[in-house]
Amino acid sequence: MTPFATPRHAIDPVVDLSIGVDTSEARRASTWLGEAGSARGIPAEPLWRLDLCVTEALANVIAHGGAGTGSSTIRLRLDVRRGASGGEASVTVSDAGIKYDPLTAPLKARPRTLADAEPGGQGLTMLRKFSDALDYAYSEGRNHLTIRVRWDQDKAAP
Amino acid sequence: MAITYEDVSESFRRIALSGRLDGRGTGEIAVKFAALSTAAKHRVVVDLTGINFLASIGIRALLSSAKALQQNGGRMVLFVGGNPAVTKTLEATGIDALIPMFADAAEAEKAALA
Repeated sequence: MTPFATPRHAIDPVVDLSIGVDTSEARRASTWLGEAGSARGIPAEPLWRLDLCVTEALANVIAHGGAGTGSSTIRLRLDVRRGASGGEASVTVSDAGIKYDPLTAPLKARPRTLADAEPGGQGLTMLRKFSDALDYAYSEGRNHLTIRVRWDQDKAAP
Repeated sequence: MAITYEDVSESFRRIALSGRLDGRGTGEIAVKFAALSTAAKHRVVVDLTGINFLASIGIRALLSSAKALQQNGGRMVLFVGGNPAVTKTLEATGIDALIPMFADAAEAEKAALA
């Protein structure tokens, strides 16, 4: 043990990951988020919501990102802030695909019957419903989508 | 991802999915699930109690099979048990209004066979 060793409790609230643009890499991102989020004290329920939203954001980039994403990487940044009464966690997903703002993209009308249902569109619904806040910016040729979830310490299961 | 099935009668099949229905997981079972759920058996209960994560790509697989089954005169119902992750996702996306969803296994079978 050197005097310069980082104490175990001083875990960095911010952590980054870069992944390739495919579904196996998206799974790797979920595994990373689960481990890094748990280690930083995100309770199970908001961590599940964050995982769902990140999964949908990545699926969208992989499916619709366009030619720009193929040779590029998707960058993810997890940022966890905890206080006495609760906390907030965000993941920013950054990709070099076509410009796409999921905050203003139109939602498909909800079908009334199975016969009317067409595949697709649920990802955007899930992203909006399961996050507590979404922020989007486009800069330097990249989309930057920040997904936030929040929790109250009292309500969160241990 | 795992997929198993049991033929209860000539026209009634139970299919159980377990694992993570994200892009990779759905890719692993999609072809087999479509074949099993839209084959000659007309009534199908899909057991989702073992699914710990349901992404939109998994919902898409459920929807397309349910729709194909209905077009052939059949019916799909979902059995979710007490699985909160799956229940919340199906409710948030309104899929529970399109494919009947049950927490109780006996009720799911009854609805499938009705």
